[in-house]
Amino acid sequence: MRLSGTAVNVKWAAGTAAVAVCLIASAGHIAAAPQFSGSEHAGLGTPTRVETALAADADTALFAREVETRDALGFPVGVKRIGRHVLDGFEHAEYDEVTEVDSAGKVQAVTQFDSRGHLRAAARLDAAPASKSRVTRDGAVRSAQKSARAAGLDIGTPTSTQADQATGGWTVHWARMQAGVRVRGDETRVQVWPDGRIQSVARAEHDLAAAPVQRIGSDAARQVASANLDSWSAGRNSGYAIQNVYLEWVGPNAAFDPDRATADEAPYRLAWVAEVKPFGDAANYAWLISLFIDAGDGSIIGGDLVE
Amino acid sequence: MKRASAWLVSMLIAASTLAVPAQVAAYDAHVWSNSDAFKATCLGFNDTYPQQHYNLSVAQFAKLGYSPVLGALGPGFTRSAFLANVLADYAVYVHSHGDNYWAASGAPNIDSGFLQDPGAGNCNSSKDMVRSSSIKAVTQGSFYNIVIMSTCMLGSNSSTMPAAFEIAKTKQAADYEFYLGYVYHTWDSSSLRFEKAFWSYINGGAPHSRTLAAAFAYAASIGGYEAVSASEPFQANWWGNPTYDGTPLRPAGR
Repeated sequence: MRLSGTAVNVKWAAGTAAVAVCLIASAGHIAAAPQFSGSEHAGLGTPTRVETALAADADTALFAREVETRDALGFPVGVKRIGRHVLDGFEHAEYDEVTEVDSAGKVQAVTQFDSRGHLRAAARLDAAPASKSRVTRDGAVRSAQKSARAAGLDIGTPTSTQADQATGGWTVHWARMQAGVRVRGDETRVQVWPDGRIQSVARAEHDLAAAPVQRIGSDAARQVASANLDSWSAGRNSGYAIQNVYLEWVGPNAAFDPDRATADEAPYRLAWVAEVKPFGDAANYAWLISLFIDAGDGSIIGGDLVE
Repeated sequence: MKRASAWLVSMLIAASTLAVPAQVAAYDAHVWSNSDAFKATCLGFNDTYPQQHYNLSVAQFAKLGYSPVLGALGPGFTRSAFLANVLADYAVYVHSHGDNYWAASGAPNIDSGFLQDPGAGNCNSSKDMVRSSSIKAVTQGSFYNIVIMSTCMLGSNSSTMPAAFEIAKTKQAADYEFYLGYVYHTWDSSSLRFEKAFWSYINGGAPHSRTLAAAFAYAASIGGYEAVSASEPFQANWWGNPTYDGTPLRPAGR
């Protein structure tokens, strides 16, 4: 990045002047908060993270598990370890976390365990090595399998392996299945650095509701989707084409209905997912839409969108 | 009487404070989110993701120390408003449709862009494009602490958007700068989950005790991101300074 003295001065002068004007105008409103309309803001607030310190001598089992995981994954050893119990409003999760901290106070690695003591996530956060060569895909998979098993995870053949533009390494995935049906987004994920070392191991798993006693079929789900899409496109220069309908466990969400927004995350439900391609005007900026149709009662319980 | 005197003195002090322009720095951030293109007028339903992304970023930029945090959710997010304000910004966030478009000079040259909000009751068209070349024309020579393009494609290696903010595509930058974007088409649920994890890490713990690169690594590590297809996995990317903690500052601020 090159800096022009003029541009820097313009930015600095503008900033200072803005503060001066704000101070003169209203001492109580220096930080000009954005204005929301009440109805738009309702139910879609911002989350918080609450941490409670955990002492190593009081939580010996937790700290011992962290050491086992750290060493199994070849993570750096800090000069001290810090334990916390976390109520994570961002992820709607509660877990215990131990960080390895170096002599400069920088976090080298973080390991999280869920309420059952199972590994949730472990990641080294020191800088990735600058590597000119990259371990092969097969080598990355072998490394990922070995490390995930060493960390206590039960995994087999990965679902997919992708080159990672951010690290230059690989990301190896195992999709989560329940009763033969994929759980949307849930996975075991291992990130492998270009030199074959492990950057992270994580297991994303959501609670599942009981499967409905009686399911609607895919044809019925398609009819629900079609009726919904017809109402969406009525009188507009856009329409929708259903590309695919398939069964998944999905998280009910407020994607298309702000009234569904809640502070707590509901268990995932068995649903038919209608994958929908917009056409007409909407196709210029809405690339793909998914509609979640409850497999039990046929109601729309959420969805997703690719802008 | 004593209480009234104290009140009067307090008011005089307050007034004198207000009359003298304070030499405290403002570190402007703008958060822009296109919502009208994703409302019932255009799509038949009201997509809530633009607002969720917007609310999150406004709150978290402020927590990181940027002030004032301005911008718009909806009609105020216009090309002219963006270009008029961007020079004074230290941090910029955009949530909209984005892509790597052919430049005016034609293929294979790329001129990345995103769509402004079309305005209440309107839908987006190509005339709403805000090109990286247009941004670069007004930002040239300036500097940015944090730029987040919460759109599709603008974190790919071919994106020209980082250069519009004078951020080179290196992960070893020396200046205090950080650019974040997504490599492929991305589900809104995935970008929201990623950004929540990113913000929860960087704004967790003691203020400014963690790096943006570590926050990125943490967010990338937790998983749970739905892919659009086998050929388009969820993938975020970053460029900038690996040790920068997100503190708003000028280049010589440290």
